[in-house]
Amino acid sequence: MKLTGINRNYYGYLFIMPFIIGFLAFGLYPIYNTLALSFTDYTLMSRDGSFIGLRNFEVLFEDQLFMKALGNTWLLWMLNFIPQIGAALLISAWFTNIRLRIKAVGVWRAIFYLPNLIIPAVVAALFNSLFAFYGPINQFMVRSGFMPEAMHFLQNAVVTRGIVVFIQWWMWFGQTIIIVMAGMTSIPVHLYEAAMVDGASSGQMFRRITLPLLKPILIYIFVTSLVGGMQMFDIPYLLTDGRGAPSNSIMTNNILMYMKFASSRGHIGAASAVGVLVFIMTTVCALGIFFFMRDRDESTFDKSIRKWFGRKNGNGNGKG
Amino acid sequence: MLNNYKFNTTLMRILVYVVLVILVIITIIPLWLLLVNATRSTTEIQQGLSILPSTHLIDNYQILLSKGLNVSRGFSNSLFVALASTVVTVYFSLLTAYGIVVYEFKGKRFFSNFIVVLVMIPMQLTIIGFFQYMSRLGLTDNYASLILPLIANAGGVFFGKQYLESMVIQDLIDAARIDGASELKIFHSIMFPLAMPGAATMGIFAFVASWNNFFNAFILITSLDKYTLPMLVKTLRGDVYRTEYGAIYLGLALTVVPVIILYALFSRYIISGIAMGAVKE
Repeated sequence: MKLTGINRNYYGYLFIMPFIIGFLAFGLYPIYNTLALSFTDYTLMSRDGSFIGLRNFEVLFEDQLFMKALGNTWLLWMLNFIPQIGAALLISAWFTNIRLRIKAVGVWRAIFYLPNLIIPAVVAALFNSLFAFYGPINQFMVRSGFMPEAMHFLQNAVVTRGIVVFIQWWMWFGQTIIIVMAGMTSIPVHLYEAAMVDGASSGQMFRRITLPLLKPILIYIFVTSLVGGMQMFDIPYLLTDGRGAPSNSIMTNNILMYMKFASSRGHIGAASAVGVLVFIMTTVCALGIFFFMRDRDESTFDKSIRKWFGRKNGNGNGKG
Repeated sequence: MLNNYKFNTTLMRILVYVVLVILVIITIIPLWLLLVNATRSTTEIQQGLSILPSTHLIDNYQILLSKGLNVSRGFSNSLFVALASTVVTVYFSLLTAYGIVVYEFKGKRFFSNFIVVLVMIPMQLTIIGFFQYMSRLGLTDNYASLILPLIANAGGVFFGKQYLESMVIQDLIDAARIDGASELKIFHSIMFPLAMPGAATMGIFAFVASWNNFFNAFILITSLDKYTLPMLVKTLRGDVYRTEYGAIYLGLALTVVPVIILYALFSRYIISGIAMGAVKE
């Protein structure tokens, strides 16, 4: 019996070995390589470059465009994330409300999720056509009298940002509803029944029961959305000219990185520096939020669950 | 009193349905306009909005072909990359997840936590280092550079672990051991068939992720005959098609229709899969 114990350990390592090798070769080494390149003046044209220390980073911090890209990326992400989570909480609360008994929840949800499956490049090109000067949106707005004359939507910074925010929201709110709902249905119904007996209003129940117990899931959504948002590329790149037009209003981190990479000489050293800075910023924020908030919440989650049911029934899951 | 309560609930219910219908319209209308405009001629499109299809589908397709856009090659390229990505992701993710779930080994806890951390790391930002490394290995403009990294797909392992934890049957493994099956054989011939529903769900996500991937392919693939569909979309935005609205819409629609059909068939798995990936952690 002792022997099988040793055997098992050995096989555990064997099973995870391909992952570890794959990670070292295609995950860790590229991270190291990007960092190494960011200290050089490598270009695609020259086969080799020389070590220039922190010069790339100094240039970036003085570069207005980099600061603008950082600010834009945060802005575009936050403006779509807040309404996205808001809509998801509201609609999930409706869908799971026992009193309202909304019909065909599965169908509504399935429709809301559909845009997430469309190729983002296609979505960007589609909205470019829809909002073109001779496009359907202008036709509709002018014919129905909402606007006196057609306008160049995609030459207006505010409108263009609004379109990017809308697209991101449109593509992701359905998925957020599914996740939030899974979290809500995993909350034991007894909690609500007990609260109802005590005379709690639905608003109180939402704030005191639903939100606290949902926190781990909300953090998950928050972190994954942040990581995705900081790497936003396809939509703003293909919506306008690929350079963040009009007037850099939708220039994001990744577009700037790509522009340095694809510039006439291919400054991969400078492009790497953009990648490194945004990588550090995003990782610190994501892991910080995850570990800082999660630990505290898990204890409150466990406590509140234990208080009501003891440990055994506490592990509800949302797969039903 | 009770009547009032009932009345309020009904009112609320009506409000909810109105909001839901509005949201459905918002969700559907861009895609509907895309499909409709794919069947309309450029003049019709310029003349005004319509929510009903027209008769110029074939004409638009002729224009699309005449401009040299090889849609079918884009399709087969995308299909090849997506299928290979799916196979690699599903196999290696389940292999790794099985190792974590079934065996007790030193560092197992650390490794599982490490997977969670990896899910939250913005790997796309290391694409420049990855590109330069691939070009040293001579793997740029080669699909291998898109597929091989999926051997270490943290999201897949995370999902696989959630799934296997809910279904691994230790007795079955022990019985197979007594029959003299090797550990790898147990994984291949006993666990894998049992884990098929989870593998299918994971596979759908891996397929969609690869099918939709623009950024990595855009940087790593250079020759036109290797372009995947999202890259062809970029050429649709080029000057050649400047005035051919109908053809542009059709080109976009061609990439959307298969996805909608697949979704209609598998939506249940997809939706339960999203919930499964998120809950319990």
